[in-house]
Amino acid sequence: MHRRQFLTTATAGASILVFPAVLRAQSKDPVRIGFPLPLTGTFAAIAADMQRGAQLAMEELNAKGGVMGRKVDVMFRDDELKPAVGAQRTKELIENQKVDFVVGGLAAHVQMAINEQTKAAGRLYISVSQSDEISAKPDTSPLTFHEALNPTITSRTIATFGTKELGKKWWIVYADYAFGKQNTAVFAAIAPKLGATLLGSTPYPLGKPEFSAHLPKIQAAKPDVIYAVTPGADNVPFLKQAISFGLKKEAKIIVPLHFLDYVKEGGAEVWQDIFGATHFCHELAETLPQAKRYVEAYTKKFNRPPDAYSGYGYSGIMEVARGVELAKSTDSNTVANALRKNREYDHYKGKQWWRACDNKSFQDLWILKVRSPQQVKGEWGFFDVVGKVAANEELDRTCAEKGLA
Amino acid sequence: MISAALRPVTSWVAAHPVASFVVFFAAFPFLVPYQSLATQVLIFGLFALGFNLLYGYTGLLSFGHAAYYGLGAYGTGIALAKLKLTSLWLALGIGLAAAVIGGAVIGFFCLRRRGIYFAMLTLAFAQMLYFVAFHAADLTGGDDGLRGIPLLPLGLFGASVSLRTPLAFYFFAYAFVVLAVAALRRILDSPFGAVLQAIRENSDRAVACGYDINRIKLLSFVFSALFTGLAGALDALRLTVVPVDSLYWTTSGQVVIMTLLGGAGTFFGPFVGAATFLILADRLSLFIEAWPLVIGVIFMAFVLFLPRGIWGTLAAPGVER
Repeated sequence: MHRRQFLTTATAGASILVFPAVLRAQSKDPVRIGFPLPLTGTFAAIAADMQRGAQLAMEELNAKGGVMGRKVDVMFRDDELKPAVGAQRTKELIENQKVDFVVGGLAAHVQMAINEQTKAAGRLYISVSQSDEISAKPDTSPLTFHEALNPTITSRTIATFGTKELGKKWWIVYADYAFGKQNTAVFAAIAPKLGATLLGSTPYPLGKPEFSAHLPKIQAAKPDVIYAVTPGADNVPFLKQAISFGLKKEAKIIVPLHFLDYVKEGGAEVWQDIFGATHFCHELAETLPQAKRYVEAYTKKFNRPPDAYSGYGYSGIMEVARGVELAKSTDSNTVANALRKNREYDHYKGKQWWRACDNKSFQDLWILKVRSPQQVKGEWGFFDVVGKVAANEELDRTCAEKGLA
Repeated sequence: MISAALRPVTSWVAAHPVASFVVFFAAFPFLVPYQSLATQVLIFGLFALGFNLLYGYTGLLSFGHAAYYGLGAYGTGIALAKLKLTSLWLALGIGLAAAVIGGAVIGFFCLRRRGIYFAMLTLAFAQMLYFVAFHAADLTGGDDGLRGIPLLPLGLFGASVSLRTPLAFYFFAYAFVVLAVAALRRILDSPFGAVLQAIRENSDRAVACGYDINRIKLLSFVFSALFTGLAGALDALRLTVVPVDSLYWTTSGQVVIMTLLGGAGTFFGPFVGAATFLILADRLSLFIEAWPLVIGVIFMAFVLFLPRGIWGTLAAPGVER
């Protein structure tokens, strides 16, 4: 009877494991949107901000009765900043939660792993962080949309603003990984056209911000501007070392992107006078009515102003909702076509549009400069908006250059 | 005692390991919340099986098994994404060949040392491969990972089978894993398998018995790399991406944890460990961000109080191992 006993026990064990499939009535179903993002790991603070943006979008949509009379349900998952986990979580969202769309990812490599899953499953995916590849062949697809900026747009913006306003002789310090290398390559390619000279560059291993051996060499070259592609937690050590070598007095320093949370954490003493680009900051509320509405709603709900990436999360969810309303369907292909046909949108900071060939969002950028400790307004007012670079498709590679002509 | 109640099951399973495996894993995708999770368990179980052959049965603690997993994954991935091969079989073959060659070369060098030195050498080789993959971005995609791996239909006796649905892919992986499990059983039942366990128990005595233990250890290393490489190759097809951290030491660490949790040196321990780890991670991460803490505590509890792992504890003493 061994065999029978085995079968009985196995069946009992199995029934514990079984998760009852929920029968769902199609019409009253919520519109489900999966949202993988790195809630733990290095980018957790930015991810939390992005999550708040997406949550605000969901609540605003539902307060107005949802889309097509259906509630919007955004399901957040922690991708741990690991591509394999991002891919697995996306599979879970699609297979287990039956999500209709996916928005999310916060790092190029995780986005692309998510993108492979959404492509295979035929789900529309709005990717919301920096990557050049995601909107180019072979990674992109008719269902892959890219709401965020990318290294090409960022570094061309930095170069355009910087060579005009800050100086002609440049040095780049960059973390030796995809984002660092891409920004450096983009800058090096465009600098001569803008009359700038790249005196040299210093790669260093990401996460190992030790620059004292390099700084004298940079100092000796006497650059006007140092472009510091020293992401995340590397920024503050770099700036502190640059200050102690007196480099911050001799040259202007610009970073690709400014983040409110990082500047607040490092403090205005360290960040003072550092330039950087962004697609959004809460100071825009002073000049843009759309930004004012968004910043007020966000601040009211979360008791702090939004950082830049909340906007991507917010806009990503809003775009899915707009697409569903336009298409009167939750079919990914129909929604994607509807978005390409009605490419202009404006959710939180002014007009944006999708380029038809690569589903890339184009949007205004601003250049920020960090205020001195005396000038910081209240708890969160760190930035002076010192320049604007208007949305322009020429800031990105052309469709032909992306293999999409 | 739970283990007493389950004794009839475990002893039946111990007597018919391959048949039990075939039956249980045929039903497995219908027992878990979604099928891709089942596939992940199957593949990581195979990964742990490969590791277990070397650690659990031969007594050699490798801390660099990510190397063969990564070689299998990149071998198959590059064959499909970069070399544009149109045969899934050939691509899998390339992944396996990469893992076996890697295992033979790395094993050849590492087996010159024992204990902690051996473990550190295996780790060093794996980290070397990681940095190679990180910097050879044209071939491997660097830190963006290798993308664009097409999931080709499987050519089978002239027919073409699509693997696009999660269930079809599960049974595709299942077929390979069943073969691997049967092969492992055959290896362990052979005189060669007995010598492996003799080396684990007392390598000096094995030498005294006249066995060329260096050759046997290397062979065990290569078999281990083969199973691990197969897991890597299948995972490349499952995710259609190969992240560069496939080769990172954290991947090596994960397989050690899975194996110890399930029960090192037991036949089903690796699969039990992989299932426990992955299903817990999948479900717990929905509720708490600090899920690794929970798994960590469970892991420590097992190492401290039940060092034979879940399956090792459940299985009747003496029947397994």
